[in-house]
Amino acid sequence: MTDGESGGAGGEDDARAGNANVVLRAVELAKTFHLGFFRRRVDAVRGISFSVRRGEIFGFLGPNGAGKTTTLKMLMGLIFPSSGRAEVLGRPVPDREAKRRIGYLPETPYFYEYLTPEEFLDFAGALCDLPAAVRRRRADGLLARVGLDHARGRPLRKFSKGMLQRIGIAQALMGDPDVVVLDEPMTGLDPLGRKDIRDLILELGRDGKTVLFSTHILPDVEMTCDRVAIVVGGRLRSVGSLAALLSARVLSTEVVLRPARALAGTGPDGGLPPLPPGARRLPGDAEVALELPAEADVDEFLRAALAGGAAVVSVTPRRESLEDLFVRQAVASEGATP
Amino acid sequence: MRRILAVAKNTFREAARNKVLYSLLFFAVALILSALALGQLSVHEDRRMIRDVGLFGVDVFSVAIAIFVGVNLLYKELALKTVYTILPKPIARWEFVLGKWLGVMATLIAQIVIMGLVLGATLMVQGGWDALDGALAKALWLLLMNVTIVTSVAMLFSSFSSPFLSGLFSLGVFVVGRSIPDVRALGERIGGWAGRAVAAACAVLPNLQLFTPSGSALGAEHVSVHGAFVMASYLGWTTAYAIGYSAVVLACAMLIFRRRDFI
Repeated sequence: MTDGESGGAGGEDDARAGNANVVLRAVELAKTFHLGFFRRRVDAVRGISFSVRRGEIFGFLGPNGAGKTTTLKMLMGLIFPSSGRAEVLGRPVPDREAKRRIGYLPETPYFYEYLTPEEFLDFAGALCDLPAAVRRRRADGLLARVGLDHARGRPLRKFSKGMLQRIGIAQALMGDPDVVVLDEPMTGLDPLGRKDIRDLILELGRDGKTVLFSTHILPDVEMTCDRVAIVVGGRLRSVGSLAALLSARVLSTEVVLRPARALAGTGPDGGLPPLPPGARRLPGDAEVALELPAEADVDEFLRAALAGGAAVVSVTPRRESLEDLFVRQAVASEGATP
Repeated sequence: MRRILAVAKNTFREAARNKVLYSLLFFAVALILSALALGQLSVHEDRRMIRDVGLFGVDVFSVAIAIFVGVNLLYKELALKTVYTILPKPIARWEFVLGKWLGVMATLIAQIVIMGLVLGATLMVQGGWDALDGALAKALWLLLMNVTIVTSVAMLFSSFSSPFLSGLFSLGVFVVGRSIPDVRALGERIGGWAGRAVAAACAVLPNLQLFTPSGSALGAEHVSVHGAFVMASYLGWTTAYAIGYSAVVLACAMLIFRRRDFI
């Protein structure tokens, strides 16, 4: 496992953050299913440990089938771990007091389609033991907050996917939880819907809520998360802040030049110097975009290009992105997993 | 208690918005009303005919509704994954099962009350206020106790199997439960290990013949709700039997539900 900051489960990481600051902790969580007539053994989660600190937005990343949803369901008490334990604010899951402090939105949520948003939120509030007056007041506030005030009398069966995600988040917030856990909240949404949910998550973070959400949509993570954990093949591969996890090393440099005269064919000419080994030309017409490998002497190349009469349009060093890290972890996992 | 009642209220609301239940209720009411015509065909027994056919309608349709609602409600929560939103809330799994059962029972009480009112009105049309007596209320009460057990059994099966199988098993338990004295006698006649197996099954399965509105064998005596045989004490102990049996069956459903993974 790669740790951006330190040990995932708690250990030094928690010690540094202060144990009191840890609101959610998974310790060596593992789940094995026995499926089918022959009880085929499937290790869905293999000893995952991480902790989420108070007030942070924590991204739980992994490809499809990595074990994200199974892990979150163990944290919510929907699935019993084969081994390991989960705690919320120091209490074991599924303790009632622990559940009182958590709001949860399941993956592709299904709600009682015959209910209206008002009825559904009232039901969710009653399950959280809230008195009727508080339920009414909180439902009004949440419907306005998630932008569903106009649809309060409409049955949920007539809701779009984006509206269902928003009412799902509203029901998760009915108990005014300290920790909000969202399983794939952006999946299946159009760009506008995704932005709405992203904004809501950021707003929750500003309100001081701790947010843990799982996803495989990486740009959303880069825009919202303080820390991330990457899970592949049921194992935790990395945990830490993006800055700590992503390598600062330059992977390549993209150079865009405007040649002195028209180019012939696709090769670099028009006054351009010869390309360094490993460099390649990117698609383009009037301007020439080149990707120079990390080991190329970019300064030397640019000097030669300028001497040949070319104009430099842009020079962009490309560092490791979350996607690069994600792919690297997934590929490494494929090699390591028996 | 608020959590249990919230689940019960939601279950009742779901049933109340289910068109299939209205269809069943419609057929039940139609059958009860048809007893008026059948009453005209009988000689001096028109009131009894209406009562028998009417109670038969209430019996059949209340059991059908109990099995339909009982096997579907828990399963639907799992199949539609609505349970994923409910159980992470501060509600215990046994509270959820109990809430569902109470919701189904509220639905059945409402259905039996409606069918009972239609039957009462039908009797009044035929014979005026004199046609109504305590025997009708006793019969309806016994039918309610009958579906209390049937609902619990249906929910037990639906806590671990599909609606089709749950429905089949529940119907099987109902059919055998209605014939327990006969099945027990059959076991005694067979003898041997097979007879002992039948006797054991009879000991475990509910004796639903106790709740038959007419023609039950009680002790060596043939009783009928039309007569004065069904005393308050009989109602009392059959009610205790129904509640006790349902409690045990429901506890089993809760135990199964408690350890279940919601994948």
